[in-house]
Amino acid sequence: MGHNVLLVDDSSTMRKIVGRSLRQAGLEFDNIYEAADGLLALEVLEKESVDLVLSDINMPNMDGITFLREKANRAHMKDIPVFMISTETGDDIINEAKALGAVGAIKKPFTADMVSEILGPFLK
Amino acid sequence: MNVGPYIIGATTDVFSTMLMVDLGVGEPVEGAGGDILSNITAMLGLGGDIRGMLAVHCPATVAMAITSSFLGMDIDELNEDVKDAIGEIANMIAGNLKAAFAGHGMKIELALPTSIVGTSFRVAGMLEARRVAVPFDMEGSQFLVELKYIVNG
Repeated sequence: MGHNVLLVDDSSTMRKIVGRSLRQAGLEFDNIYEAADGLLALEVLEKESVDLVLSDINMPNMDGITFLREKANRAHMKDIPVFMISTETGDDIINEAKALGAVGAIKKPFTADMVSEILGPFLK
Repeated sequence: MNVGPYIIGATTDVFSTMLMVDLGVGEPVEGAGGDILSNITAMLGLGGDIRGMLAVHCPATVAMAITSSFLGMDIDELNEDVKDAIGEIANMIAGNLKAAFAGHGMKIELALPTSIVGTSFRVAGMLEARRVAVPFDMEGSQFLVELKYIVNG
């Protein structure tokens, strides 16, 4: 498919599970980059060409909401789409994420089918 | 509010969705008791309309089985992957509980999970808190999910 994706989560286990779910969902990426928090995610976006970001919300150092805010302030990365993938899927926080540019959300726990259903149409 | 069913629903949902495992469910225990031999405990703090703590207590066999299933590889020691995986289990259970409490008009904030490995430790504190613990059975081995909380206001 020719996409690069960035997975942002403080849990290395969850990053592996999300990566595996993408493959199980038939969503192929040329490169899967990983970052453990928002700060490290910004560093990846400075260096690499990324087509899609999947980001947790609750993380140390820089959480997902602050990451969205910082990313929106950087012209060269502000248009890269972000889906939140988190236990935090209440209306308040998701609306805040969307106001900062997030295009959607996936609730943990999730299945590969749920990932495919949400991301599939976006990646076509 | 009877939180036992919420703990059961939150936990079985995480295991059936993420691990495709149907857990056996024991009787919720209120107050003291129901403890199991645990080699790893993952816990996270709760704030907002309630304050307290959610903890997942696992024997090593269960913790390694969960992690093996998560990662799709054999795990034979309580390493950083196991601490991370059990912490994430606690995080997802707490997220489901947060949604359940929201249905009662209660807003809960979740802290980041912390995992402790050892053979002789107790989690103490919050003397006035209500405690509900639910034992679960995963393929013949037990683990415990414990919620301690005080409703603010």
